[in-house]
Amino acid sequence: MHIPDSFIPMGQAIVYWVIALPFVFMSLKWARKELDDMKIPILAALAAGIFAIQALNIPIGMGTSGHMVGAVLVSIIFGSPFAGVLVLTLVLLVQGFVFGDGGITTMGANIFNMGVVSGFVGYYLFAALKSKVDIKAAAFVGAWIGLLVSALVCSVEMAIAGTFPLVAGLATMGLYHLIIGIIGEGLITAIVITAIEKSRPDLLDSSVTKAKGVRA
Amino acid sequence: MSVTANSNMNMKFLYAGIVIALLIAIAAPFLASSDPDGLESAAGGLIDEVTYSTMEESAPFVESPMPDYAIEGQGKMGEVAAVVAGTILVLGISFVLGKAAKKN
Repeated sequence: MHIPDSFIPMGQAIVYWVIALPFVFMSLKWARKELDDMKIPILAALAAGIFAIQALNIPIGMGTSGHMVGAVLVSIIFGSPFAGVLVLTLVLLVQGFVFGDGGITTMGANIFNMGVVSGFVGYYLFAALKSKVDIKAAAFVGAWIGLLVSALVCSVEMAIAGTFPLVAGLATMGLYHLIIGIIGEGLITAIVITAIEKSRPDLLDSSVTKAKGVRA
Repeated sequence: MSVTANSNMNMKFLYAGIVIALLIAIAAPFLASSDPDGLESAAGGLIDEVTYSTMEESAPFVESPMPDYAIEGQGKMGEVAAVVAGTILVLGISFVLGKAAKKN
């Protein structure tokens, strides 16, 4: 879902930068408040893993492929969507400047879609579900729907840019990312969260592990 | 659990994370689907061919040193090197940024 430079006119691309930057700024404030020597290795390992897995496109049929985004996974582990914004910003900076994956002018839109929208939607959906269903299911649904909503937001941006027609764009992007979200985002997020919960439950933010059954 | 033991375990998580990330990075050029991603695929279907090929060929705002996760003329090994380099770069930047940002 990395938008190249040519898909959004410069004026609009700047608007998305203006929208994205406060979130990036707040994610740095989050890092200042929450990160310590215990958490930094976890953040760095996750960021590296997400960069690598974003290079692994999974075929979804219809001549189309997709990959994990990862903002929801990071947000769940750290108990804050700003962790997802921070990691996605770093990953997108390297992808854009070093590998030409995603434009530089459109990086604001990409940070907003993949870091902010998918991370916030996915994390808060997970948070709402975790007291009702098990943590695996909550992580799966959060990650899946987070990706889907970010693809729909991307379609609206494409329509405003005049690049895609609105309805056809929503339908096509929605269909592809509905499928990418199940395999690439939901399943992988649920598997990683389950593995961490089993092996190192202390790594998960306490709000994640103690939630179930506590709230009436 | 003592702070030191916990810190060692987190360093273990870092090393395990690095190994997993590098394994994915090495495998990705061989395993990744070359089909267009969701956005490109939608663009191919929704934008007329001439306009889309013009958009695809337009120069990016900034030229990147390793476009499309490849090193010119180096084939698959170049792709592996590119993704591995990117993974290490992201790891390093995150680590340094984390150290710089954390409260003292």
